[in-house]
Amino acid sequence: MISVGIDAGSATTKAVLVKGDRSIIHTIRPTAFDFISAAEMAYKDVLDHAGVDKKAVDHVYSTGYGRNSIKFADKAISEITAHALGVYHLYPDVNGIIDIGGQDCKVISVNNGKVIDFLMNDKCAAGTGKFLEYTARALEVPIEELGELALDSKTPAGITSMCTVFAESEVISLRARGFTKEDIAAGLIENIAKRVAVMARQIGLKQNVAFVGGVAKNAGIKVALEKELGVSFCVPSEPQITGALGAALYSIR
Amino acid sequence: MHCFESLDHLKNSYNTRISQIVDEKKAGKKLVGTFCLFVPDEIIFAAGADRIILCGGKNDTVSIAEQYLPRNICPLIKSSFGSIVNNGCSGVKSCSHYGMVDLIVAENTCDSKKKMYELLGDYVPTYVIDLPQRPDSPEALNYFLGEIYKFKGVMEQLTGNKITVEQLKMEIKSSNETRQLLHRFYELRKIDPPPIRGVDVLKLLQKQYFLSTEELKASLRMLINEVEKIKPDGTHKPRIMISGCPMSSGNTKVPEIIESRGGVIVAEESCTGTRSFWDLVDENKDPMLALAERYIKIPCSCMSPNDRRIENILELAREFEVDGVVYYTLQFCHGYNIEKYKVQQALRKAGIPMLFIETDYSNSDIEQIGLRVDAFLEMLS
Repeated sequence: MISVGIDAGSATTKAVLVKGDRSIIHTIRPTAFDFISAAEMAYKDVLDHAGVDKKAVDHVYSTGYGRNSIKFADKAISEITAHALGVYHLYPDVNGIIDIGGQDCKVISVNNGKVIDFLMNDKCAAGTGKFLEYTARALEVPIEELGELALDSKTPAGITSMCTVFAESEVISLRARGFTKEDIAAGLIENIAKRVAVMARQIGLKQNVAFVGGVAKNAGIKVALEKELGVSFCVPSEPQITGALGAALYSIR
Repeated sequence: MHCFESLDHLKNSYNTRISQIVDEKKAGKKLVGTFCLFVPDEIIFAAGADRIILCGGKNDTVSIAEQYLPRNICPLIKSSFGSIVNNGCSGVKSCSHYGMVDLIVAENTCDSKKKMYELLGDYVPTYVIDLPQRPDSPEALNYFLGEIYKFKGVMEQLTGNKITVEQLKMEIKSSNETRQLLHRFYELRKIDPPPIRGVDVLKLLQKQYFLSTEELKASLRMLINEVEKIKPDGTHKPRIMISGCPMSSGNTKVPEIIESRGGVIVAEESCTGTRSFWDLVDENKDPMLALAERYIKIPCSCMSPNDRRIENILELAREFEVDGVVYYTLQFCHGYNIEKYKVQQALRKAGIPMLFIETDYSNSDIEQIGLRVDAFLEMLS
């Protein structure tokens, strides 16, 4: 049995090929403007990496914002269900998931891979990868380095704006007042961690929590969020692919 | 899903109703505009006037209202106000009934409405019924009774007709008939799968205070007849109850999303739903007292405490065997938004999943809502 899951996200498109229940091959590429061609290329990537012919694939399931436009998929499922299944496969004991992606943030309460409750923040960019992207720009720091930089701060600057645009101007005024890059970076990360922690507490996430999505690669956020919630997270070696993995596994189920 | 002739008939009811009002006005009949379930229809009809609902569900008049009102109040208030003050200069047309009312009868419910009514009086004569907001005390009942007596006087003055006890009793009986018809209609939705889509039911309920009572009753009877004849088929779909803010005419956004993604709405705990007809008026009491008692018990979130609403939600969830509740609020509707917490706790205790959706009248968040609904329906099945 070979199945493929494709997660057409706002920033990146992920594909995962699962052979039987064991071997997992994945790819991540930028989504850019064209959801559909990104999905097609990601699909081709995993087939090539796995050395599998298209005809040998039993099922293709899609998830993510572009899920309904991927016509070669047999079925589309929501990212919430997909992440729950993907994370369950990696960490069967987990009962909470925090996923921070490019344009939204999800907090999911799960039991044996089944969604019990969830909350999403996508009305604005507060608490998302976009928030980091914009504010890192104002700080003139590559986004990958923002988290590391923040870890060096002893006295994080207080940043209170939830609005991404206003936070950007807040960063600029902090710079003008002489705050160090480290302290501003730490302030930004604390801001996002507080925002996400409110959602996690609303859902009642306490222990055995997995942290996934592109932002989970950011060490500074992980540390800040762990501190805020008083838990230590399970973070998969590739936290961006749990949605695609879940979609692939959904078809096997 | 089945298509109903009676619903097709309703689609054309707007123009018919407008010409009916034109004729009535020519014959000297007064038209009263209302916004809320707390205004007793029976008193308006007993005075020989007609009534039309002014709650707006359309997005295009919101920006007109924003010239006068703050941006951060609920879209229902902005849409309605925009439709009334619209002078056409922005190229947006209001529905014609907004320009036809002789008197607006408003009510003190939420803060935004209350303050909006103060501005409204500059455009259309507006009378406001005051509403005590601690509904279970005897003082509140007496006060409200006094308020509806004053309102009765206002209606007599507007129409020049004296309202008699007999007329009131007749109108109460007639309104109770409507309520009973709606109960009969809702009974049919308890079948699994229900024979009629929630969106279709909502479109009818949105006309409840727009149509004349005769027309409404006739439409309901026709529809009940049609629905009763259907043999239910198909498989079980997640049965959803919507609970929260009103969905005024023009606004079917969230129900459309729910039903296009595989759920089916079986009940609405809403002003455009059960809240409007669930309780009857006692026909054996003094009519004014019976009206006061019935109307003050409407479980609106402006009331405090409002535990009656929570009990009602749990009762409806059981009766209609719902799989999940979509708690629906309009942005900046503080009452229903805050009550969400208590409702969620009560539903959690009862083991009923709930999805919270806060939205406005724009189309900007359709995809985001769709994703939440997809995930919720997957969770329920």
